[in-house]
Amino acid sequence: MRKVSFTVNGRPLDVVADERQTMLLDVVRDDLSLTGAKQSCDRKGQCGTCMVLVDGKAVLSCITKVAALQGANVTTIEGLGTPGQPHPIQQAFVLAGAVQCGFCTPGMIVTAAELLEANPSPTRAEIRRALRRNLCRCTGYAKIIDAIQLAGRFLRGEIAPADLVPGPDAPPLGVSHPRPSAMAKACGTALFGADIRMPGALEVAVVRSPHPHARIRGIDATAAEGMPGVTGVMTAKDIRGTNRIKYTVADRPVLCDDTVRTLGDPVAIVAAATRDQAVAAAEAVVVDYEPLPALLSPEAALADGAPRIHPDVPNLCHSQPIVKGDAAGAFATAAAVVEARFRTQCVHQAPLEPEVSLAYLEGEGEDAELVIIGRSINIHLAMASLQAALGWEAIRYEEPFSGGQFGIKVEVITEGIAGAAALHFGRAVRYLPSLAESMLATSKRHPFDMGIRLAADADGHLSALAMDITVDNGAYMSLGVVILNRALHMLTSSYFVPNIDVTSRLVYTNNPWGSAARGAGPPQTHYALECAVDMLAEKMGIDPLEFRRRNSLKPGETKATGHVVREWPFPGLCEAIQPRYEEARRQVEAARAEGVHRGVGLGAAAFGIAMPGDKSIAAIELDPDDGVTVYVAAADPGEGTDSMLSQLVAAVLELPPARVRLHTRSTADTTASGPASGSRVTYMIGGAAVDAARQLRMAMDEEGARTHAAFTASGRPTRYVGRRTTLETAPLDPATGQGPSFEVQVFSVQMAEVEVDTATGEVRLLRLTSAADPGRVIHPLNVEGQLEGGMDMGAGFALREEYVAGKTRDWVTFKFPNIRHAVDLQTIVVETPRELGTLGSVGIGEMAMVSTAPAIVNAIRDACGAMVFELPATPERVRVALAMTDAQLAGAGT
Amino acid sequence: MTAEGIRTRELRTVAGREAWFDSEGFFWEPDDWSEAAAQELARDSGIPALDEVQWRVIRFLRDYYGRNGRAPMNRELKAGTDLSLLELERLFPDGIRMGARRLAGLPNPKTCIE
Repeated sequence: MRKVSFTVNGRPLDVVADERQTMLLDVVRDDLSLTGAKQSCDRKGQCGTCMVLVDGKAVLSCITKVAALQGANVTTIEGLGTPGQPHPIQQAFVLAGAVQCGFCTPGMIVTAAELLEANPSPTRAEIRRALRRNLCRCTGYAKIIDAIQLAGRFLRGEIAPADLVPGPDAPPLGVSHPRPSAMAKACGTALFGADIRMPGALEVAVVRSPHPHARIRGIDATAAEGMPGVTGVMTAKDIRGTNRIKYTVADRPVLCDDTVRTLGDPVAIVAAATRDQAVAAAEAVVVDYEPLPALLSPEAALADGAPRIHPDVPNLCHSQPIVKGDAAGAFATAAAVVEARFRTQCVHQAPLEPEVSLAYLEGEGEDAELVIIGRSINIHLAMASLQAALGWEAIRYEEPFSGGQFGIKVEVITEGIAGAAALHFGRAVRYLPSLAESMLATSKRHPFDMGIRLAADADGHLSALAMDITVDNGAYMSLGVVILNRALHMLTSSYFVPNIDVTSRLVYTNNPWGSAARGAGPPQTHYALECAVDMLAEKMGIDPLEFRRRNSLKPGETKATGHVVREWPFPGLCEAIQPRYEEARRQVEAARAEGVHRGVGLGAAAFGIAMPGDKSIAAIELDPDDGVTVYVAAADPGEGTDSMLSQLVAAVLELPPARVRLHTRSTADTTASGPASGSRVTYMIGGAAVDAARQLRMAMDEEGARTHAAFTASGRPTRYVGRRTTLETAPLDPATGQGPSFEVQVFSVQMAEVEVDTATGEVRLLRLTSAADPGRVIHPLNVEGQLEGGMDMGAGFALREEYVAGKTRDWVTFKFPNIRHAVDLQTIVVETPRELGTLGSVGIGEMAMVSTAPAIVNAIRDACGAMVFELPATPERVRVALAMTDAQLAGAGT
Repeated sequence: MTAEGIRTRELRTVAGREAWFDSEGFFWEPDDWSEAAAQELARDSGIPALDEVQWRVIRFLRDYYGRNGRAPMNRELKAGTDLSLLELERLFPDGIRMGARRLAGLPNPKTCIE
């Protein structure tokens, strides 16, 4: 041990530190309660969220030993500025739209502070070098680089932050008003789950299965219970409820009782005074497993004699055909047909924030309320699921700030563990698993295996589509049926296909269980379809952009499910991207003349929003200061829900957006508005909020009142509840897959430009361009931010990312896209206000990555002729594809 | 559970009207509820006729949902009806959620829809 004297944000400290183990991050977070420096990577120095300045140099505080800091001056994000007096870099991040979930933001700003101190006018290349140790999952890094250049302008005195802040007369819509939550995130004062103080709380650790499939013969916790600091160990028998988490089907145990069905399944909970003690004791719990056959592919799970993974359900747990027109007849008379088989991989959604939940009992006796602070984006459903699973009716669910989600937070994960432990031990508990455990415990993007045949007539019009789709559901249902059906609803992308014959199967296996992941089904099927579209266009000698425009649906025509569409502004996007496409083609030709294997590829998407039967509800109240408060459960893990709600309501009530307050995070004061998923937040939840605001506006207008005082004098209520309900309600026909579909669509055409090293198979991604039409734009920077972040995520899906259970343990093994992977991201936004949209708007978040992978794979093929049939398109797969002969390519689907 | 059982909604006829119900038998749309439907659902669950106290609970639940867009917490239900949890559970043998809330036509929190 050694006593070390240094300062943090000017405050002198004497710390007696273990020379090897005490890290600066521990002092900053645990001793000083400063929350801006985060922890994501299990203290491996991989993510940069913990960055602080030591004598002006940005360091990774998670691996900086305190013993080496004698005499040092440490500055954290809190020392740079506060929401009341922000640093120019913090202001620049807010005004440039660089803050989404905000988990990486303090670390980014600290790194930028070092850079700008030394170099007030950095180039984009210099910024990229400076940020090489910082990860971001939301932005694609584009707006972060913009923000640092803007901060440079502030610091050089060329422009002031106030010059960029929208004035009091700025319209509510179509203007990038600073996000209500952005400055708190930029200053490190926004509290995420791990930032919440709970003195005296027990820390819990979970014993997890090392087997993908096994019977539990016995659990011996004797040794663990006797270890230092341990309060106790609990197993499934200690849970008083159903012990099953239900999203669509109650099949996933909080703690496994007799069987584990996938690697990492939870078996026991250990509670102790400290996290280290809990983790050590968890390792001492002895579980007697009887390994069972591990069914690690749909083929194995469907084989004759394969054991059932769930006793009451066949492993083939869902199937849904689509039968439209006469596909066989159309194939028989087609002018051209292509056929192939495509496969996609299992992917972790990779929010930067690891899992975390807290729970405690508030009150006593019959009124005791179990408070669970979790990370759900559907807090009322999470509460209901936990009520049944834990056997405790009085639950209040609260959501702190959330560090990204991308689908992973649709499901209950750590909340069940924390809630069960709080009830069993009768104490406040905190469950903060490592990143490796967070990866093991959570849902994943489903792998798809897709055979496809696509045909066109002599005029180059798509005439028939046949697909067989097999989805590896993993061990638990979650919303596997929803994922598969969403893929089917959006099967034909932007196109009219009159004849369709599709079979689809959802199969339980012992693999990681799939659930929501940005796009939720369509990214997988669009990879197959959009690649097949390019293959068919080439076969027919038609330019791929022209082929897509020619085959666009038209109002009055039908989607794959037979649903007649009302609006379809897709051709306008083809027009919008045409000039850049032609320029890209010219650059390809110029590069090829110099022997470079350069290519350009396209992918399109028509992403549906608001399934038949969807509903939402919101409440609004006129406040005594003449502002309003919106009460609605609407998670905002980065997309900008706060901007959307405040600006929409402001538009209806003709108020400045800052006068609209939001209560969105607790089941105790919000409406049960449905999940913040499926890109439904603007259309459904925003739509309900607009309905509530309109009712209030109408009532105030009827009374001629513009103030709270005048309105209440009239005797009218100040609170109104609004709803949004889709026009159609029925699900698909189980036998034909025909029926009503999404109420509205957001459209996209993406373009990738790549160079391929044909010797190594390396793909150099040069530029991605996304043209999108989300309807009326509420907040331009938020829309651009979603498009840029989506393209970056799509590029990771296309080229690098894969989750392998037991092997993928951190951001390096996951191949998390860092700023060195970041490419030139271009956006083109076309605004076609939708008839049914929420003030003309529909949404954008998921669509942003749906067609990125096919655009990149089509560009690879254009560059070198290699068609990659399985993602990710690694150099090895590109080399294999390059070696395929034409005959092999033709047989790829058989 | 079967593949068919995974469907999140089913169309049923209750008190002479077709309405969508979720997989637990809750009204999908609270506006499809009627007093006659509540009475029929009550009979199906073993309550021959809803009495005045049961109706008071049902009316409180519907009024609360109409103002707040969610079901009340138990403590709010107790305060709003002046009944203890034990009394409420005696009134609705299927429990507060599966009994009272379901008969009152309050919808379950929504999942993503298939």
